[in-house]
Amino acid sequence: MARKDYYFLGKDFPRKDGAARATGKEVYPSDIFLPGMWHGKVLRSPYPHAGIKKIDFTKAENLGAVCLSYKDVRKKYFNQRQVSIPESTYLDWQILSDKVRQVGDAYAVIAAETKEILIEAVEAVEVEWEILPSYLTPEDAMKAEGNLIHDNYYIEDKEFRVKNNIACAREIVEGDVETGFKEADVIIENEFVTPRVYHCQLEPRSCVCRPEPDGGITVWPSTQALHNTRILLGKLFNLPLNKLNVVRIPGGGHFGSGIQTNSVIYHTVAVALKANKPVKIVMSREDDLYDHCRYPTKYTLKIGAKKDGTLVAGELKAIVDIGCHHIQAFAFLGVLVGWWHSLYRLENMKYNGIAVYTNKAPACAMQGYGAPQITFGVETTIGMLAEKLGIDPLELRLKNYVGLGETFWGQGPTVKSTIHSDGVKELIEKGSELIGWEKRPNPYNRKGRYRRGIGMARGFHTSGTGAPVPGEVKDYTTAMVKINEDGTVDLLTALMDHGGGTLDAAAKLVAEELGVPFEKVGVSPADTRSTGYDVCTHATRGVYCGGGAAYEVAKMAKQVLLGYASRILNAPVNALKTRPDLSRNEGVVYVDGMPEKNITIAEVARRAMNNDWGTAIAVKSIRMVNCPPAYTTYFVEVEVDMETGHIKIVKVVAGSDAGVVINPGLARGQLHGGFYRGAGMALLEDTDYDRKTGRLTNNGLLVDYKMLGAEDLPDPENFKVIFADTYEPTGPMGAKGIGEAALNPVPAAVASAVQNATGIWFTKLPILPEDILKGGKNR
Amino acid sequence: MRIPISIMVNGKNYNLQVKPNELLLNVLRENFSLSGAKYGCGIGECGACTVLLNGRAVLSCLTLAVSANGQEITTIEGLSDGNKLHPLQESFIEEGAIQCGFCTPGMILSAKALIDEKPEPLNSEIKEAIRGNVCRCTGYISIITAIKAGAKK
Repeated sequence: MARKDYYFLGKDFPRKDGAARATGKEVYPSDIFLPGMWHGKVLRSPYPHAGIKKIDFTKAENLGAVCLSYKDVRKKYFNQRQVSIPESTYLDWQILSDKVRQVGDAYAVIAAETKEILIEAVEAVEVEWEILPSYLTPEDAMKAEGNLIHDNYYIEDKEFRVKNNIACAREIVEGDVETGFKEADVIIENEFVTPRVYHCQLEPRSCVCRPEPDGGITVWPSTQALHNTRILLGKLFNLPLNKLNVVRIPGGGHFGSGIQTNSVIYHTVAVALKANKPVKIVMSREDDLYDHCRYPTKYTLKIGAKKDGTLVAGELKAIVDIGCHHIQAFAFLGVLVGWWHSLYRLENMKYNGIAVYTNKAPACAMQGYGAPQITFGVETTIGMLAEKLGIDPLELRLKNYVGLGETFWGQGPTVKSTIHSDGVKELIEKGSELIGWEKRPNPYNRKGRYRRGIGMARGFHTSGTGAPVPGEVKDYTTAMVKINEDGTVDLLTALMDHGGGTLDAAAKLVAEELGVPFEKVGVSPADTRSTGYDVCTHATRGVYCGGGAAYEVAKMAKQVLLGYASRILNAPVNALKTRPDLSRNEGVVYVDGMPEKNITIAEVARRAMNNDWGTAIAVKSIRMVNCPPAYTTYFVEVEVDMETGHIKIVKVVAGSDAGVVINPGLARGQLHGGFYRGAGMALLEDTDYDRKTGRLTNNGLLVDYKMLGAEDLPDPENFKVIFADTYEPTGPMGAKGIGEAALNPVPAAVASAVQNATGIWFTKLPILPEDILKGGKNR
Repeated sequence: MRIPISIMVNGKNYNLQVKPNELLLNVLRENFSLSGAKYGCGIGECGACTVLLNGRAVLSCLTLAVSANGQEITTIEGLSDGNKLHPLQESFIEEGAIQCGFCTPGMILSAKALIDEKPEPLNSEIKEAIRGNVCRCTGYISIITAIKAGAKK
């Protein structure tokens, strides 16, 4: 928890954007209405795999619409996601292609002056298709020799031929697995399957683009990465970056779906440029359901342990169904093994991961990025091992987990750093006490219709993707801090806030470091023309990396301020300190040991201006050289109705080791939300495809994409959140991440509670009522 | 073809002409620039477009503008008097019930319809009242707390 000497960290303040959001005044991309704005629509394929034989826009164009097909756009391949370095980025996307690779794939973009004309124009487009064989499962896709989903992909300018629809593969070996398994007294091996969850961010992905008189464009997109969006658009449309302004605008949720520059963004830009009009495209919910999903996984996990519980060897073989494009499949195969490697010590391990193209929506990162998937299998296996060895599952975890002083893989095998803070033991001890772990029933002698069970799982997420040596992933943030002439402060950064309070946290760090009241630090509007590069707000890096940059730059601005103050107070800079004077609501500079010798920060800034000394301002790009694990533990109690198979969540104890907690109220909200989405993945959420039509069986409807509702979750009184009392020495004022960690162990924890209630070990998610009734078999 | 209607929006009377198939959501967002009512699905699945029609929470994406003729509409923009926030707006901010904020206007309006009828709602009544409002961020925990706190104010 927060150190006692912090003024603002660890205390709750109303979020800075709260009033705008509570009054409906916050503007999201879909809320932008510009004078003379046209409306756009993306035409989407009814077929899972087909070539375009002929496309005719004549009638649509006669109505006054502006139309684009593959013939009208640049052919060069790219990847929507720009987070990895070019050597690790697989290019298989085009703005529009001469073939479609899934139902819902874009084949044309149309814009018109009014919605009415647009609707008529869309219906007037004539297309002839050549239907191709489609592959809805990785198993079918890998059998194909011709009519592949992609014939090739590129890495930088080098072309690679695709074989059997295999998009990429990775193998990693450490130690000697065969010898390791020989030392094992117990070996557990299972196949695990995790679902194709839809992000369901509440605002469908949207974009507005306005061509500017100087030949440039201004873009208001749904995105998590302003600068990567700008850089990609610059490449695709051959625009110099100084004429390409991407504006930060809050998205109605992301959950990872906006790490890449979604197709709606470049489709909007393409049609706006051709029409030379401002254009808005808001995806329909159906289109959005065909646009992105969590990576589904199927893997065999084998772990061996000695009688005393020491883990000796492990083997993981994974097949990942990535849908019809690369977004970050290669990186995903890396993190899948990386998260596993960082959960429990294993000197001997072997990993083989394959990513396969199918004619489905492209899978991408979603909160946890592979960690919820692999943590489910690993934690379930740990539970099984504990049972077989007769060791308490908590003890087995504490004996083997990767903790203080050990090496953490923060983003696959190329991003490694040493762990400097570790609250796992504290979270397990407190959590087990609060849930009543000692009262866990024996799962194998249960009777009666309603059966309660208590389970747990632990996990983590990385805080950013920094490491001492840069790996496959880019990671830095630029921040600017400026002390204004009235003592207020502007913080400028391209960091995004997806709702968790990231920007408030960054502002709080600045306030704390400068010694000014929190409400005096403002977060400036940001766009790509006025901010330095920030890679993306993803990977739970907002507070640690983005906040870390703001904090370091605040220190620099403070030095400038103290330089000015030193001239006024006639004392050397290193004798000066700052603090907020809350009674006067001002920041104050004072001489250490002589508090009566002081001056307000506002007065220093004013005098610096009037004397022509300058503004106390600083700007710098900061790269964190560590990626500390933000640990979480979840203890869950459920009640299973053995007659209907219904699983009710009774009680939750969520534990988080986020280092020093900056916004406790908002941090608790991260755990509430993480649990909700994780429990949805455990009990309900999945998207499957009709193998004949290639369509989603939910038909793009939310009523048939089931999510948990308020009525399915425990009452607030039965949801406890605890924070570990840790300090991350590499983080800004002791802080590390929280976001994705809030979900990662949840599916495993829920499955563990269901096991304790029913005696059934589930290895496939979601666990549906019919699975309970079938005793976990036949599915 | 356009049909004349008169509606009261956030306390003021308006006469306007609308197309027979025009949705109340679009009229509010485009004619009145009241973009607090959100488009999240367009077919009544998510609740982001919720507004109050004569005090009852309705989905404006499923309501024809002509059917609102002669009725009173309150959007999130009309909930506070412009100076002081409504108690629910305050409690949503204080209790951390707002994350991305996209569901917030609809959620607050559903909550208002509830507490106008039941000033001291139980957890179960709150859960029932917000069944149609999807929030993908908060897990609903802080929303329930905020509605209770707002009701007490």
